[in-house]
Amino acid sequence: MNLENAVETVGLTKSYGNVKALDGLSLNVRRGEILVLLGPNGSGKTTLLHLLSTVLKPTSGTAKVMGYDIVKQPLKVRESIGISFQEPRGFWRHKPYHILSFHAAIYGLTGEEKMQVVEKTLRDFDLWPSRNKRFMELSGGQGKRLEVAKLFVHRPGVAVFDEPTAMVDLEGKRMIWDRIRALREAGSTIIVATNEVREAEYLADRISIMKSGKELVTENLRTLKDSITGGDVVEVGLSTAISDQMLQVVTGVPGTVRVLQESESMLKVFVNRSEDWLPQMMFSVQSLGAKVTSIRVSEPSLDDVFLHYTGKVVVKQANA
Amino acid sequence: MRELFFLLGFEFREEFDSIAWTVYLWLFFAFQYFVYGQLISKLVTSVSDYYLYYGTGLLIIMTFNVGTWAGRRFVEGAHEGRLRYILSLPIRRGELFLEQVLLGLASNLVRVGPPLVLILILNGMPAVVLLSSVAVLLAMSVGIMGIMISLSFIAFKSFDIYSAIIAGLSALLIRFSTVLYPLAFMPKAYSTVSLANPLTYGGDLLRNSLSVDVNSLLNPQVSTFVVVAVGISTIALGMMLVPRTLEGVKSS
Repeated sequence: MNLENAVETVGLTKSYGNVKALDGLSLNVRRGEILVLLGPNGSGKTTLLHLLSTVLKPTSGTAKVMGYDIVKQPLKVRESIGISFQEPRGFWRHKPYHILSFHAAIYGLTGEEKMQVVEKTLRDFDLWPSRNKRFMELSGGQGKRLEVAKLFVHRPGVAVFDEPTAMVDLEGKRMIWDRIRALREAGSTIIVATNEVREAEYLADRISIMKSGKELVTENLRTLKDSITGGDVVEVGLSTAISDQMLQVVTGVPGTVRVLQESESMLKVFVNRSEDWLPQMMFSVQSLGAKVTSIRVSEPSLDDVFLHYTGKVVVKQANA
Repeated sequence: MRELFFLLGFEFREEFDSIAWTVYLWLFFAFQYFVYGQLISKLVTSVSDYYLYYGTGLLIIMTFNVGTWAGRRFVEGAHEGRLRYILSLPIRRGELFLEQVLLGLASNLVRVGPPLVLILILNGMPAVVLLSSVAVLLAMSVGIMGIMISLSFIAFKSFDIYSAIIAGLSALLIRFSTVLYPLAFMPKAYSTVSLANPLTYGGDLLRNSLSVDVNSLLNPQVSTFVVVAVGISTIALGMMLVPRTLEGVKSS
């Protein structure tokens, strides 16, 4: 195992009868990074998290978490990883204070230290006023915050969050995201599964897009956006009427994918990497004696990237 | 092992946070023993001291119900996500299974212990009988929980089928056994089936420890062997089946 990786999976497969929830996944998560798994429902994100945390066993393939094999050394893996589940369910009659105290005790915290950590975590997640309510009396958002808060009690080497802000209001989402980032700063490697694009954009160092149990691509956000051919849309206003020669020159600029004439002096150009394309375009236009009077650039959103990789066409949206 | 006891304490606290079911069991015992038992024992004259015989039968039924409840709780835990969380904690699967058994035993002790003590007091039995009786009930409880938890794999396919099987099994195991009537009084066909039923041996062993109608009971050494063997084998079966069931099937 590469020491730079906190998690490595090799050909990881989980089948339920004829259905492959995870299909030969090979994926690395670097130490100290936040990797976001982005994918539609049923893409295998949750199954992957359950396999990594040894809640499930793989049908074939394997994975290592902090160097420990999930099949051969499951106890060591469980000591190294923590998972916040998608749905906050379970101990209906227990109270948040007792739930976190139990969680802390299981991971070796005792006495005054345990009490301090539990109180701080409850306060950090705005659950202190509800600490003596039963779990079943908490709101959906409170229950979800409690589920997420567990990982902040024992701060595992690898912290896994399955849709950490589902059911949480906007203010709560931001709070949880900031806490997850802080957890990373404190040394944990983070894996977040979500189908919420904004969450991925806010948190991710790298994004892995999954579909049908397979990894389609894993890259940082910038590279993902740049990977879409003609994904950047540049609207260029010119000082003169656009001639055929001008159209030919612009079409010939490296990185141009498609050129549309919007009006007598306005072009709409679909390009790769607009930051590289723009200086070359301006030089070419000026060489024909024209001036650029306005530029408007819009890059693809992560929505576009997501839809692009999961089967939709981005250009169709850009034209809309 | 430290984690096992933390978990046991945590689950025990939740189990007894509500005492409604425990009170129901005690009320069930009280009505059955003091009303139905009083009357039926006057009708049944061919068994010496059928009132005590019936009382011990009630204790076995309660033990069976509590054991069934432990199995059901295990299954519900898997469906509700409680077990999924526990599976992610740094606890060995074997320890987790042992914890579930200990939780079931503790539940049995709390719920069946007081009626047992009441019967002992009402019948003027010595305290030492309490120890042997509790040992028999707990040994039976282990076997029952082992069966119920081992069957939990059915529940992952269909909870309705699991519930139906458990209800059917409960009805058959209690009726085709010596829980409510001695072996010697059963028709041949009934007694043949009852001899293949572990509850028969558990029931007779409990009555041996309480010195009830000793002549009509099975050999206590054979009964002890059967009860212990069933307990060990079902627990071993559960320890083998449960991790495979849980780790191979979606829990929600």
